[in-house]
Amino acid sequence: MPNHLTLAVAGGRKTQGLVDYCREATDRKIAVLTFTQTNQQEIRSRLASQAGDSNTMEVMGWYTFLLRHFAQPFLRFKFPKDRVKGFDFEGRPFKFATGRSRFMDSGDRVYGCELGKLAFELMEATPTLLRRLECIYDKILIDEVQDLASYDWEILEVLLGSKIDVRMVGDVRQAVLSTNPRGQKNKKFGYAASLEWFRDREAEGLLTITYATTTYRCRTEIATFSDTIFDATWGFPDTTSENFDATEHDGVFLLHTQHVEEYVGRYRPQCLRHSVNSAKHLDLDFQNFKGVKGATFERVLLAPTTNIESFIKKGAHLEATAAAAFYVAVTRARQSLAIVVDKPGESKLPVWAP
Amino acid sequence: MITRIHIRGYRIYKDFNLLPNPKMNILVGGNDAGKSTLMEAVSLALNGRIGGRSVLEELNPHWFNTELVKEFLAERAAGKKPALPEILIELYLRDDDELQVLCGAVNTAVPTNACPGVFLRIYPNEEYQDMLDDWLKTPNALLPVEYYTCEWRSFADRELTKRPRVLSVATIDSRTVKSSAGVDYHLRQILSDHLETTEKAEISLGFRTVKASMTDGALATVNTRFSTLGASLLAEPMALAMDQTSRTSWESVITPHVDNVPFSMAGQGQQAAIKISLAMKRHSAKVKIVMIEEPENHLSHTSLTTLLDRVEKLASDDQQLFVSTHSTYVLNRLGLNALHLLNRNYASKITALDPGTVRYFQRLPGYDTLRLVLAKKVVLVEGPSDEIIFERVFHDVHGLTPMAAGIDIISMRGLALARCLELCAAVDKPVAVMRDNDGIEPTDLRVSVEKWLDGTKRELFIGQVSDGRTLEPQLITANGESHLREVLGITPKADLVTWMTREKTEGALLIAESPKALSAPNYMKEAAEFIQNA
Repeated sequence: MPNHLTLAVAGGRKTQGLVDYCREATDRKIAVLTFTQTNQQEIRSRLASQAGDSNTMEVMGWYTFLLRHFAQPFLRFKFPKDRVKGFDFEGRPFKFATGRSRFMDSGDRVYGCELGKLAFELMEATPTLLRRLECIYDKILIDEVQDLASYDWEILEVLLGSKIDVRMVGDVRQAVLSTNPRGQKNKKFGYAASLEWFRDREAEGLLTITYATTTYRCRTEIATFSDTIFDATWGFPDTTSENFDATEHDGVFLLHTQHVEEYVGRYRPQCLRHSVNSAKHLDLDFQNFKGVKGATFERVLLAPTTNIESFIKKGAHLEATAAAAFYVAVTRARQSLAIVVDKPGESKLPVWAP
Repeated sequence: MITRIHIRGYRIYKDFNLLPNPKMNILVGGNDAGKSTLMEAVSLALNGRIGGRSVLEELNPHWFNTELVKEFLAERAAGKKPALPEILIELYLRDDDELQVLCGAVNTAVPTNACPGVFLRIYPNEEYQDMLDDWLKTPNALLPVEYYTCEWRSFADRELTKRPRVLSVATIDSRTVKSSAGVDYHLRQILSDHLETTEKAEISLGFRTVKASMTDGALATVNTRFSTLGASLLAEPMALAMDQTSRTSWESVITPHVDNVPFSMAGQGQQAAIKISLAMKRHSAKVKIVMIEEPENHLSHTSLTTLLDRVEKLASDDQQLFVSTHSTYVLNRLGLNALHLLNRNYASKITALDPGTVRYFQRLPGYDTLRLVLAKKVVLVEGPSDEIIFERVFHDVHGLTPMAAGIDIISMRGLALARCLELCAAVDKPVAVMRDNDGIEPTDLRVSVEKWLDGTKRELFIGQVSDGRTLEPQLITANGESHLREVLGITPKADLVTWMTREKTEGALLIAESPKALSAPNYMKEAAEFIQNA
């Protein structure tokens, strides 16, 4: 049972780890599964430049994986007369839809939000499905595994028990993109709580977990601050930083609204906010927390949500999802992070002023 | 390896199934029984192309099963709304590990069954629904194939763009090369598959260099002259150069030579032999499926023997062979147990033939088993004289020739009766057998073949010992000596039995053609009755 999970911190070169692994194992049939288009492009181009041409490696999205190896070949084990004609990412079945209309729209396109359930049920319906996968792939690598949602966990559990060697990298602290935001099943595993799930599987002997705690991106100040986002009961090990670059402005700072303009003019940070609805009082060139996953910026300016503000002022911990989103935003920065807070409260962070 | 071929709506196949043997498959059938169509369909589903061209390019209304089209038109005329006819060819493959990528349940198997496989489907294109609706107002037997489209997929519902690597196939047709290129499509594919990628690259590069040197050499002087010609529109320089586009790639000019003679000029038998060797003996990517069409064409008996030897020797355990043939020799040699009898929409296959019997006919490859297999009903007799007499008896009883009744009379010529009966049983052929008693009680003679006889489809008929040991005395007993002497027109001096035994065939012919009445021995009459009703 050589399954393996590496839980890395942000900036821990997770993706590079996968690429390195592929480069070593050129003789095996490998599927590399990811959750975002950008991530797929990234891995493809890195593989092409670093691992050379190989026809034993396939990079695809999780949805593609479920469509190509579950839904398309085996749909008839649930609906003997039907075929999958496509994928409906946006659509949703009616609340009480049953049978085929639960899973597919009128054009026989599978609903994105029901694909996991369908895939899992097909897996249950016929042993051929798993046997087929075992013959096609020696290894399945999953990037950003924390983004699995609802039925995906059931599928992963079966894969962990199969002949296929499953290698996963992820960072439960940055689980912000769920593949199925509205799926109810396995809510308890969703988001950052997936850590518990992995630890249980490890206890069952299904996989081993290693922690990669070095960040090559964030300076120590930022890394240390990011460690405080989740409270100690999570048991995450501390992050160490390998970024020793020094500039004229390094570290984590609080920033008064009145100094924002000045600050932006001087350091040109990437401005981040939770979503379009937040930080409306600031007229800056924002990107949203969720949209910057995987990105690196020299400097970051962050407009906090009310909860983040109270975390900074009073040390009140965020709930898991919000914490994960905040963690992602914080750990984008290499050198400096400024958080727009007018009253520092109990925070010991230095306040920046011109 | 193909485990099931399912064809629906393609040419003569309305809804056809064949379960091939793992190794050897010999397809026999009368003319028009669909041997070539079957091979064509298999190759179509394996390659997604036909004769190297795309399906839609070649598609024409005659691809569709006429019966289905007729039914469609009839239903249409009756005011119903049947779906337009479609073509579906499915190849079910063995559940091997290496084939799993093709595994899925997108096939017509009921109940739902997932196994590796590929299918090709030709169906009306929804995008042209308006035009199709238009056409449907006045439908006719020529389907509007322009509005059809085609999908070629694995059972996993994945579109195939080229033949899956795990399904290498070689087709060896008996047509000889006539094309000016010297290498036909099949041979080109075989050649190409035979070469390693690096070898191909080397040849391609070398050929380019040769072409370039031609441009720099012989054409250089011509080009100097051309440059002063000012032939082009705006006096740009014009020059001749070797065509370096893919149209003139090495494949089109490099052809195999045999004994310094180009392949296309080689003897037809030689061509077939070379194709078979090239196709079956590949060092890399071993070919999994080999299809040979009528290997007996263009070959002398000796060449055919050599060729079949080669096929047998080259065939490996993981190769599946499909051989269509009209030749009994080929059938017997490659093994009767591999036989598939095609009869348009139906295929029957020999089941459970004793290996001893297979070997028996392999040793006697000249024996006309194919005739036995292809006949509707069979009467087995000992020799030519029995054959001739029975024909007359049958005509006397039924007023028509056995041929007209679909009955083929075959002489066993010393062949073991049990073997012949076993073969008849294996192909479920109605048969009446007649033999001499040679002085032994008919009941005793029955014992050894009893298990093949069922009294309704297969039966043995033997004359009583008291009526004579062989056909001739039996005839004398039935007709009386004087009547026969008259029929045969022999002198009183000659002994009738001796004469008839000596002039067996001659005598039989005289009796058969005689206008005088003939009383048939009872066992012959019974046989004639039996086979007509069997």
